[in-house]
Amino acid sequence: MRSLDVDVVVVGGGSTGVGVVRDVAMRGYKAVLVDRADLAQGTSGRFHGLLHSGGRYVVSDPNSARECAEENVVVTRIQPTAVETTGGLFVCGPDDDPEFGDKFLAGAAANGVPATEISIAEALAREPRVNPGIQRAIAVQDGSVDGWQLVWTAARSAKEYGAEILTYHKVTKIERTGDQVSAVVCTDLKTGEEVRIGCTFILNCAGAWAGEIAGMAGCHDVQVVPGRGIMVAMNHRLVNTVVNRLIYPSDGDIIVPVHTVCIIGTTDVKAPDPDHLPIPHDEVQQMFDAGEVLVPGFRKARALHVWAGARPLVKDSRVGAGDTRHMSRGMGILNHYERDGLKGLLTISGGKLTTYRLMAEHIVDAMEAELGTSHPCRTADEPCPTPGPEPTYVPSTYHVTHRLHDREHDRMQDQILCECELMSRRMFTDKLAEQPTASLDDLRRQLRLGMGPCQGGFCAVRATGVAHELGTVGTERATGLLRLFLEHRWLGLWPILYGDQVRQTALDNWIFSGTLDVEHLPEGAEVV
Amino acid sequence: MPDTVVIGAGLSGLVAAIRLARAGQAVTLLTKGLGGLQLSQGTIDVLGYAPQRVEAPLEAAASLPASHPYSVLGSAAVTAGIAYAQELLGGHLVGTVDRNVLLPTAVGSLRPTCLVPTSMAAGVVTGGIRYALVGFRQLKDFYPKLCAGNLERQTAPSGEAISARGLVIDLPAVEGMADSSALGYARAIDGSAYRAKLAATLKPLLEDGEVVGLPAILGYRDAAAHRHLEELLDHAVFEVPLPPPGVPGMRLNEALTTLAKQAGVRIVAGAKVVGFETSGGKILSVGQATAGRVRQYAADTFVYAPGGFESGALSMDSYGTVTETIFGLPLHGLGPDLVTADDPANQALFRVGVGVDARMRVVDPAGTAPYSNLYAAGGVLAGAIRWSEKSGEGIALASAVAAADSILKGA
Repeated sequence: MRSLDVDVVVVGGGSTGVGVVRDVAMRGYKAVLVDRADLAQGTSGRFHGLLHSGGRYVVSDPNSARECAEENVVVTRIQPTAVETTGGLFVCGPDDDPEFGDKFLAGAAANGVPATEISIAEALAREPRVNPGIQRAIAVQDGSVDGWQLVWTAARSAKEYGAEILTYHKVTKIERTGDQVSAVVCTDLKTGEEVRIGCTFILNCAGAWAGEIAGMAGCHDVQVVPGRGIMVAMNHRLVNTVVNRLIYPSDGDIIVPVHTVCIIGTTDVKAPDPDHLPIPHDEVQQMFDAGEVLVPGFRKARALHVWAGARPLVKDSRVGAGDTRHMSRGMGILNHYERDGLKGLLTISGGKLTTYRLMAEHIVDAMEAELGTSHPCRTADEPCPTPGPEPTYVPSTYHVTHRLHDREHDRMQDQILCECELMSRRMFTDKLAEQPTASLDDLRRQLRLGMGPCQGGFCAVRATGVAHELGTVGTERATGLLRLFLEHRWLGLWPILYGDQVRQTALDNWIFSGTLDVEHLPEGAEVV
Repeated sequence: MPDTVVIGAGLSGLVAAIRLARAGQAVTLLTKGLGGLQLSQGTIDVLGYAPQRVEAPLEAAASLPASHPYSVLGSAAVTAGIAYAQELLGGHLVGTVDRNVLLPTAVGSLRPTCLVPTSMAAGVVTGGIRYALVGFRQLKDFYPKLCAGNLERQTAPSGEAISARGLVIDLPAVEGMADSSALGYARAIDGSAYRAKLAATLKPLLEDGEVVGLPAILGYRDAAAHRHLEELLDHAVFEVPLPPPGVPGMRLNEALTTLAKQAGVRIVAGAKVVGFETSGGKILSVGQATAGRVRQYAADTFVYAPGGFESGALSMDSYGTVTETIFGLPLHGLGPDLVTADDPANQALFRVGVGVDARMRVVDPAGTAPYSNLYAAGGVLAGAIRWSEKSGEGIALASAVAAADSILKGA
């Protein structure tokens, strides 16, 4: 058993947890973050990639709208490598109520959300694929944000302030001494070792899994009701700005350009188990139908991948009104001292990725209120450090062509392992050296390995081969990593398999089954 | 007017066209692009898994389900198809239809196949074999250490151990280039000076008795490259197939295209077949979308050899409707749950295809021919998942020869 002693343990490595650990560390606390998987493997990586302008909430939730508008500016400033400033449009579809646009403009003006109505001709000139039957168009400052980059750059900042980030550490027990939390016990899933982290405060940022964590501290009945949403990535940017439907927020009403693809989202259905999120056929069809309204011919475009995320909604009748007084709408803090008589534990629920930093600020304020301390929050003032050697071309925010720019410069010196996403061998080996125990999926989230049209058809074996050749992984593990990567790719492929992606899958099958016969590689003790 | 129009320039289209033309028919072959051979590994597979690993492909083919193309064709047709490949490509292929051999793949699995190109023959797994697998730092599709590591985890069919080691050499295909494709290397190796340089780099690294496995790049145009390298190295050398574009498949494509042209086949490439005209239950002509207009090609008979889902000849739309995209032919193998969460390579969808009768005429599931002069061959046929079974070339050859013979008999 390994032992650590810190002031604060943050449970959960999504955007909330990472934002919190950064804030805690910047305020001078000794902190450690634990997650049972990799950073941003849960909800923070399973969304549509929208950096809200606030437009979406100007009618339904004005307070959120104001916060989004403010935090959009902050995130773009402190984490430019995670943001593409695409701009956005709200368009009134042929059958939508055009009068909603008036409420929208009024709400935007009242809440500091920049919004300008533009002519339909201007909207179609900006986005030629958008439905020519639209009745109104309003331009806003929506952006595209890479959840993984956002979380990793914030984590890097936290580490520079002395925080420790322990991924693949599953919490097994929370110890208390009387009415005070005293330690978090984890299992290091990569080594099997037990780790005991003594602490005086625990910030439970486990999202859809928060109820389970609170239960370990003896605080029962924290009802987490995950809201499942599905998203579909299309194989190229059907739009280059975020296109929203100018209606009261609903399902499938937004298309976000993200890197080389675009993503349509989303649905919202109660899910009993956040670890097993189904992707029902009818919801996939619903996304395609919704896509047709925004971009006619959407169904003829090629769908690449589908996934589901679980919004962490906590329903708890025992939340005191005072708890949420200073909190952003859609977010709540359960004070377990007031609720359960336990000191040193707060459970956080709800929230949005765009406002993750503000949420973290509120949470850490609440912690300090309980501890009777006070330090200024500086997370909005200081930019996060940019990631290592990649990308080299980031003047401020990134642009979809930044990797093309990089490859044009190094193509004679380096190989391109993933042509779809222009990932060089160097990008891969640098990240692998940093995270030698990472799975190919862990690396994928940071590098976009295998996330393009061929879905790993060509790069999966290359990545495996390079990792093996470097000696970072042995033969059995390399083989296991390859198999696991292909299995995971298929999970997001089969529910949206149609059109040219069927053709691609047949080609990938010719490669992996036909030529390489991966399915008959020897089995072994493949610890991945 | 040609006697027969063949649609598709993969193995089945080329072979059917050659056989018909050599029998005296006027044949026009229409193709959108290069055929599927460039995607292939360059071996002639007959049946490798059913679903257990197969040693005698003809025997195993006899006990496949009735819906399988081999069951429709019969084993005589399979034998005839393989024999025809040997007749056409005799000098290039080694092996017999009675027995499979195992060849190492690029990731180190042991893949069953039937006839192998001479450039791969030395790689066939035998007890006690000692492999030296060699990769190039500048070729990103072959990792010899991974291949060797996995080979050593297995045994030869005799139960004896396999010894293998991987070597990476630093030898660009083009000076100063860090990233070359297999085809780039093959073009370099076409030059004897480059071969000498390769041999000089490699020879000091080899140990006596080792069989040298190189990625499948040993010459694109120069058929003597493999033998020359063996002489220079004084070691047996074999090629390991890589993901596409696969050089051994491209060599087969070149060889068969040359034979087709020599036999008088008129090849019209570069445009998709997009429509057709019918009368009295017969296809009169098919239209090819050439520049500016659709051009009609009339013929007495038509051989449809466009490939399967990988070529786009078969397709599924976003509502899940599966179609054959040129003629709208009736499909076999349709049903619920064509795509499921398990095992991407073995989805029921990929068994869907066009059905044929004993004469290789296209028929609906009830056995009725929608057009009396439309024949089908190769990957468009229903009932087989060719990449999993390792049966693609066998089905292509057997069905192409059977279709050609049926047409010749009818004429």
